[in-house]
Amino acid sequence: MAAIEQHVEHEHGHASPQARLENLKFATWLYLASEVIIFTVLIATYVVFSLNNRDVVHEVHEKAGIMLVAFNTFLLLASSWAMVMGLRQLKLGNRQGLISWISLTALLGVIFVSLQYVEYRTLSDAGVVLFYSGGALSEFGMRFYAPTAFHGAHVIVGVLWALFIIWNARRGNYSATNYAGVEIFGLYWHFVDVVWIFLFTFIYLI
Amino acid sequence: MAAVTAPTLPGVAGEEPTRLHVSDYLRWSVDHKIIGVQYMATALFFFIFGGALAMLIRWELLTPAIDLMADGQAYNSLFSIHGTVMIFLWIIPMIAGLGNYLVPLMLGAKDMAFPWLNAFAFWLIPPAGMLMILGYFVGQTEAGWTSYPPLSTLFSGDGQTLWALSLHLLGISSILGSINFIVTIRNMRPAGMGYFQMPLFVWAVLATSIIVVMATPFLAGALTLLILDRVAGTAFFNPAQGGDVLLWQNVFWFYSHPAVYIMVLPAFGVISELLAVHSRKPVFGYRAIALSSMAIALVGFTVWAHHMFTSLTPELRIPFMITSMIIAVPTGIKVFSWLGTIWGGKIHFTSAMLFALSFLSMFVIGGISGVMLGSVPWDIHVHDTYFVVSHLHFVLFGGSVLAIYGGIYHWFPKITGRMLDERLGKIHFWITYPAFFLTFFPMHLAGMLGMPRRVAQYAPEFQTLNVIISIAAFVLGISTFILLYNIVWSLYHGEKASANPWRALTLEWATSSPPPSTNFIGDPVPFPNPYGYGTEAAYNYVESQNKKYGTVNPADYLPAEKSTAVTSE
Ligand SMILES: [Cu+2]
Repeated sequence: MAAIEQHVEHEHGHASPQARLENLKFATWLYLASEVIIFTVLIATYVVFSLNNRDVVHEVHEKAGIMLVAFNTFLLLASSWAMVMGLRQLKLGNRQGLISWISLTALLGVIFVSLQYVEYRTLSDAGVVLFYSGGALSEFGMRFYAPTAFHGAHVIVGVLWALFIIWNARRGNYSATNYAGVEIFGLYWHFVDVVWIFLFTFIYLI
Repeated sequence: MAAVTAPTLPGVAGEEPTRLHVSDYLRWSVDHKIIGVQYMATALFFFIFGGALAMLIRWELLTPAIDLMADGQAYNSLFSIHGTVMIFLWIIPMIAGLGNYLVPLMLGAKDMAFPWLNAFAFWLIPPAGMLMILGYFVGQTEAGWTSYPPLSTLFSGDGQTLWALSLHLLGISSILGSINFIVTIRNMRPAGMGYFQMPLFVWAVLATSIIVVMATPFLAGALTLLILDRVAGTAFFNPAQGGDVLLWQNVFWFYSHPAVYIMVLPAFGVISELLAVHSRKPVFGYRAIALSSMAIALVGFTVWAHHMFTSLTPELRIPFMITSMIIAVPTGIKVFSWLGTIWGGKIHFTSAMLFALSFLSMFVIGGISGVMLGSVPWDIHVHDTYFVVSHLHFVLFGGSVLAIYGGIYHWFPKITGRMLDERLGKIHFWITYPAFFLTFFPMHLAGMLGMPRRVAQYAPEFQTLNVIISIAAFVLGISTFILLYNIVWSLYHGEKASANPWRALTLEWATSSPPPSTNFIGDPVPFPNPYGYGTEAAYNYVESQNKKYGTVNPADYLPAEKSTAVTSE
């Protein structure tokens, strides 16, 4: 039975490597398009609330301050830059460079999530909680935590993915001509970054 | 599924004949043909489950009082699960199954673009289905398939949470499956097949998959919020705690109106194939049919609030009424193209063709009642009555399910290597068709007279109508077993099918029935026009497919100069 299974697996993974990469990249774009829509629903839920409750938003902004989040935004942008640098090093044939830069990407991602946790603690101490507990602050809370935590989960997935890339690179699976795996991770990571820019703008700036 | 044997094909030395046993369908496989059958078998199981619930609904409605069910709540979960199962666990997976089996074959490809992802998407469905059934037995899934808050957040119980989790899994499954379809169709067409040489079923699957990728995430977003409300104590949908009930309605219908096309566009695709093949004529208006699918996919995103005429700000009603009227136009274009296709054709009244023709008549009724509902004054009159129930069953049963029946009769020989019994097929048809009509047409009347939907108790003056509807529904339910019996009987005793029993020109027929594990021996060359029936070239091409093994090159049969000679074909 195992033999048949392998035979089938082999036959059906048949397309040429180049065609497979084209397929993978296109599929990643489609997947990200559907992610955009889920984020849109969550962000729209927040935006409708914030337009109708300006005073609550101002109250939270005063409590939370913007410095921590601004720094966090900077970290995420830097991680995207590290990602680009890593891919460039790989294309130049420098696999060690790839590993260093992607490690930096992952590290910045971890710091981002940790600082987000610190921010959540500050906010929940100030009364901004996820579940409804009476009062306008918790009405704000659920609409704030849903999109940002969903984004945070994406960052965590991205960090794990980066570790997987590093593990693969150490085994010598990428080269100057074989970098699609890194490129597809890059698409995802930039997407996570861009979504954060929107979240930052809508939640913290407006 | 019983043993299905592919013939040994000469010319491939050392290739073992693929002997598939029922156990091959019960475990992980990355072959799109096995996955397709897995989808279809799973869907048929849920069809029977959902059908049994429908029978219980009709039994309860034989009398104006609550007598079969313990109370109104038990009745609520009955119709909630019936609706959800039929839509998300029968029609959508059944169509995904047909698409999985047929799209790579129609493209002359060896498999889908991502075989592993394909299997993964399928294997999300059985656990999701189990959660749904569990939800029914846990109880308190009482908010209907639309699950409007506050019903779905404040009043219903654990069954509702399971319902939401199940739907979330099904949504992920369909998004992954559709990404796979889009990539396959865009990147894996053979040389000689541009977009406008693709079979119309493939066009329909493409349009459907685009809708799934763009619309299903809205459902995922809404369900995420609903689950948070139910388990994490948030109040997104509870107005008393600063939530908004209309948020659910807007997001849900932004998904669910396009979802109607997710269920109906592939049915359109099936019909386009069936009508052309069984009336031996080129499709009339190929481009019109192909592009109107795309038009429907786009306009489908602008009409959602016609489900909310009674809850929406009145000023918004007119714009949504206008878009709802506009979306009838591309559908009308298709209907006229189909009529043009069979007009003057040499119609073979096979079971597949009978179901395709019944689709034409019944779907048009559903379309017209849809336009009626799209106009605000009429909608407000029949809002939440049996008129709506009638409309949606004419679209989803008279549309999707009748097309699926036709598709089963048409492609069963390709999938199993045996023909379905035509005599049983005709008996199935001649019971299903009138029983369907008598079940759902009188519901229009009940609705116009004011019978509300989703109630177990109704005014005594509606009893006559309801008894007629219930009796017809029982006959309709029984008629399904003729099909199931036919499937099981034909698997063992059906007449052996040749490679191309319906003499069709699309590529899925250019290989043995059932196809070998690699689908084709060598790379198949598509016939230049997939619907070029009635020419000598087409006649000779099809003849040779049934006479020799292996793929046939159309170039051998195409005349040097374009011939328009019409043979008896
Ligand atoms: Cu609609």
